[in-house]
Amino acid sequence: MNLNSVSQILDFAIEKEEEAAQFYRDLAAKMGQQHVGEVFESFAREELEHKAKLIAVRQGNMTLIDSQRITDLKIGDHLVEIVLSPDLEYKQALIVAMKAEKAAFQLYQGLASSTDDANLKGILLTLAKEEARHKLRFEIEYEENFLREN
Amino acid sequence: MSDPEKKTLDLRRREMPKQPPEVRRYNFNEVALGYSAESAVEEAKRCIQCKKPLCIPNCPVEINIPAFIKSIAERDFIGAVRILKDKNCLPAVCGRVCPQEEQCEKTCVFHKKGGQIAIGRLERFLADWEAQQRELEMPEILPSSGRKVAIVGGGPAGLTVAGDLIKLGHKVTVFEALHRMGGVLIYGIPEFRLPKVIVTREVEYLRKLGVELVTDFVVGKTRSIDSILEEFDAVFVGSGAGLPWFMEIPGENLNGVYSANEYLTRLNLMKGFLFPKYHTPVKSHRRVAVVGGGNVAMDCARSALRLGAESRIIYRRSREELPARLEEVENAEEEGVIFDFLTLPLRYIGDENGWVKAIECQKMELGEPDASGRRKPIPIEGSEVIYPLDAVVCAIGNSPNPLIGATTPGLKIGKKGNIEADEKTGATSREKVWAGGDVVTGAATVILAMGAGRFAARSIHEYLSSL
Ligand SMILES: Cc1cc2nc3c(=O)[nH]c(=O)nc-3n(C[C@H](O)[C@H](O)[C@H](O)COP(=O)(O)OP(=O)(O)OC[C@H]3O[C@@H](n4cnc5c(N)ncnc54)[C@H](O)[C@@H]3O)c2cc1C
Repeated sequence: MNLNSVSQILDFAIEKEEEAAQFYRDLAAKMGQQHVGEVFESFAREELEHKAKLIAVRQGNMTLIDSQRITDLKIGDHLVEIVLSPDLEYKQALIVAMKAEKAAFQLYQGLASSTDDANLKGILLTLAKEEARHKLRFEIEYEENFLREN
Repeated sequence: MSDPEKKTLDLRRREMPKQPPEVRRYNFNEVALGYSAESAVEEAKRCIQCKKPLCIPNCPVEINIPAFIKSIAERDFIGAVRILKDKNCLPAVCGRVCPQEEQCEKTCVFHKKGGQIAIGRLERFLADWEAQQRELEMPEILPSSGRKVAIVGGGPAGLTVAGDLIKLGHKVTVFEALHRMGGVLIYGIPEFRLPKVIVTREVEYLRKLGVELVTDFVVGKTRSIDSILEEFDAVFVGSGAGLPWFMEIPGENLNGVYSANEYLTRLNLMKGFLFPKYHTPVKSHRRVAVVGGGNVAMDCARSALRLGAESRIIYRRSREELPARLEEVENAEEEGVIFDFLTLPLRYIGDENGWVKAIECQKMELGEPDASGRRKPIPIEGSEVIYPLDAVVCAIGNSPNPLIGATTPGLKIGKKGNIEADEKTGATSREKVWAGGDVVTGAATVILAMGAGRFAARSIHEYLSSL
């Protein structure tokens, strides 16, 4: 893996988004319950949106904004790994997504800490933040649907 | 609006007697004892009969509340019962378990001053009075239409549809998976909050009206909806939300970790608390933790207490956010249930024989307000605590069982496993199939399930009349 320039990093990130989309599409195809399959399809579409955004950034049509601190609700942190079987439910689909986004966040964080180049570090941290934002989006959906404790 | 000037306002809600906490925490008898006729009349007289009552629009089934209260004030209890039953076929149930504080009583003109009329207590009084006084009045039943309707599930939604359609002359059969009718009213809500004789009485009333009640019949297994439709003209699905959620944290497979459903079913339906008279005892535990904060959690915690355990509620948010009815929270507190607010279970710890022996939790704090202004709980690092216990009841929520969706081609199912149905009619994506109650909304309330049943019954009747 060669990550010596901003454009190489962006290429890498674009590929990662495509891989994530493929991961969700594969899961969607395996689901026994159609509505859960649709949930994974929708996650795949979101990953493709992220990919499109990164392509726009690489082409210079957009800049990634390093916005304010992203809250970490840490909802997924203590949950068990979900065994990927055809009878998953929506709730478990969200856990899979929270954990995947967390892993992506950690990947960019790790990469950022392994470079001294301020420019590269900056873009990697921004990508990490993007993933943290995606994770937060799933955490909120999980909390609103499954942590009403009612 | 009313003209309060004309009367001296009486803002003193008449108290309803209850068993004292130190007594009731050791028995399963009903906690609240109900108004006497005198108290009911006194309470009813406080109502100022607003010209544009605000209580009615906040009742999901739009009971003419001021009218029945007026009849009570005039001691015309029979008249009051008729007004009540015109819109609500299960008043003895709703008078006990409806969240009136969030509905009719919340918009009472006296609410701001803390003296809202005790509408729920009056409703309960009337229903109980009727049950004591005489044979239930039999309604008029229209001549047979020759049409047949099957109802899946004998909970409040299904029973409401059954009651409405039988009166309109249709032949109605209810198929219930369990061995008793009543849904959550029988297997979920404990005896101390809703005595089972009340539910049985309502079910018997339907039987007398001619509804055929079939138990131990799992639609989707015993027979599919498509097969039922070969014999019936329409189907209503009111199968509830009986699939429990777990936290998905380590240790959930240990012995002694229950879902609220299992715990309450063992107690209520299998009469675990009457062991040895009944043969399905619940293991007696010394320390029970209940995870959750809704009515279900309160019911579990209070049941555990009555079975002799130290009982604690573990809830991720603060007291203000508890989704349970305030009355039930206060009852639980009075009885001695321990509350751990802003506390999140992280894992269950087992002993060498695979039984749960402790729970590890983390304390939470409320974070910055989000876009909607709400503050979400965030874990505080390093605040982990371990509580020893020998049972955990997980009461964090339920969704519909997937069986019917999986065995009914073309029936549209939403993300959370709920059947998608029109809010006003209960019509689903499948012709001749209607649905309502918790199976559509996810876990909600008795009155909403009944309201959905009523709408669906109307729509089914229109359809049957058009054939
Ligand atoms: C412990 C507890 C406490 C509650 N407290 C309150 C309260 O205080 N106030 C309030 O308003 N609400 C309360 N609720 C919620 C309320 O009970 C429900 O919203 C309501 O019962 C929903 O009615 P329903 O008819 O849709 O479903 P249910 O009552 O769940 O009935 C559905 C029925 O369908 C049957 N069934 C399921 N699948 C099949 C099948 N395949 N074939 C045949 N039959 C099937 C089930 O066995 C069940 O009997 C409480 C719920 C619980 C669990």
